[in-house]
This record gives sequence, structure tokens and C-alpha cells, in this order.
Amino acid sequence: MFIITCPYCGDRDQTEFSCGGEAHIERPKQPTELSDDEWAEYLFMRKNIKGVQFERWNHSHGCRKWFNIIRDTSNDKIHAVYKMGEKPPVI
Amino acid sequence: MLSFNPPIKEEKNYNDLKIVEIEPTIKINLRSNKREFSTKIGKILSILPPNEANTSSGNESYSLLWLSPDEWLIYSNNINDTLDNQIELENNLFNEISKLNQGAVTNVSDHWVMINLKGTKIFDLLSKSCPFNFKDFKKKKGSVVQTVLNHVDVIMHNKDQNELNLFVRRSFSEDLWLWINDSARFL
Ligand SMILES: [Zn+2]
Repeated sequence: MFIITCPYCGDRDQTEFSCGGEAHIERPKQPTELSDDEWAEYLFMRKNIKGVQFERWNHSHGCRKWFNIIRDTSNDKIHAVYKMGEKPPVI
Repeated sequence: MLSFNPPIKEEKNYNDLKIVEIEPTIKINLRSNKREFSTKIGKILSILPPNEANTSSGNESYSLLWLSPDEWLIYSNNINDTLDNQIELENNLFNEISKLNQGAVTNVSDHWVMINLKGTKIFDLLSKSCPFNFKDFKKKKGSVVQTVLNHVDVIMHNKDQNELNLFVRRSFSEDLWLWINDSARFL
């Protein structure tokens, strides 16, 4: 259990949020030109690293807005929170 | 009074705590990110939608709660509102906002059930099964929070010192009501 600072509502318990997986994955511009392997790579493969990871989260039991988090998966320390569409801060 | 059945039909009194469902009142959900939206709401309700997170605005007739940067909830402070009052308000808002593409107006009168809690033990009760930190919330009259209470999504509005309105979805209201009463016995 840890506290997440929603960029809209402020400090809230983690149980109010749901994680939407890795952030900044771009949809290929020409899906028809991709091989099945490349498409599967885009669709399913996520890094899931031990360490600092960029993630999308949703404040599902609060304001229901999406935003990004930079989180260390080994100790749940949150390095930064930033809104959708914003450039990730350098950490 | 609006004409649908309240799911909860009793009033409960405990040591320093009184719980009652407020008779169905008008509740309308508003969504918009347009600039003229605020002025339009101001014209219709004579109150402006709050921009600051977790706050509310209001006058004698209506309260207007912040839900997210582009979502608000209006509810009537007058329990004697009739169905005609509701239709009039909804039409006013619909014509000025939805029809002119300024946002969305949704009537949620029977979607949310409003439970009123009064007494000095409110926050002791809520803290039994709510992850939210009420420290600043209880000091500030009019503050609003959307969170979970015993795993049920709720909206809370700090009406006054020791008075709080709790909104819960109708289908969850009976379950939460039972939980509230069960927990209140052990305060
Ligand atoms: Zn939020």
C-alpha cells in the first residue's frame, strides 16, 4: 500500500487507483505494413522491469482521470507524476 | 417531493450520530470543458461551478460539487422540490448546454442516494473503512471528496461542522446502509 498524488485531487490511497500498464507506447502509424510478430510486439509485450518504470494510472474511484507516473517497481517510490500529453520529466 | 421510492425508509440514532436518507432530491451531473460553460451555469443557478479541486459552491437552493476538472454535480437543498421543478431545471440546463454543444447534462436524481449523517462521531465511523485522510476535509466547510467507503464508491460533501451528505449509487445503498448501521453500534 502506498500513497499516490493524483494531479487533480491530491494525495490518495493506492486502492483508489488502477494501473494501466506501461506508458508512452505509440500505436504504429501503418498497422497494415507490420508483420504479425511486430504487431504482437506492440500489442502485448511490456517491459515490466525491476527499477524505474513509466506507467499510466487511472484515478478510478476518484476523478476518473488518466495520468502518468514514474515509479520504482522495486520499492514503490514515486519519482514523478505528470498529466496525459505532458512530456515526462527528466529524473 | 419527487415521486420515486427511497431505498432506505428509516432514520437511525446512535450515540452522537444520526443517520437518515434525505427524500429524493434533484441531482444533475454536468460535464464540460468549454469556456462559456461557467457563465451559463452562473446565469441559470446563480452559482459558479468551483474550479478548485475537492471544493463546492452553493446557495440556498442548490449545491454544486467539484468531481473532476470537467465534471460537477448539482443537487437541490430543498427537499420539497416537485417533479415540475426538476423538469424545469433540467430543460433549462439542457437547452443552454447540451443543445448548444457546451457540454453534457445528465439527470442522476435516482442514480445517487443521499444519506445525511449528523453528529460528532461521523469521522470515527467513516474512518473504519475508508482510506481517505479526513484531517483537512473536516476543517473545511464545503469540501468534497470522491473515494471508497467499505469498497463502495461514494461522494462526500462536508455540509457543516458535524454534518455530512453522503452519495452512494442506488444499487449499493442498502448494502452501505447496513454497513453504516453495523459499524455505528461499536462507536
Ligand atoms: Zn483524481
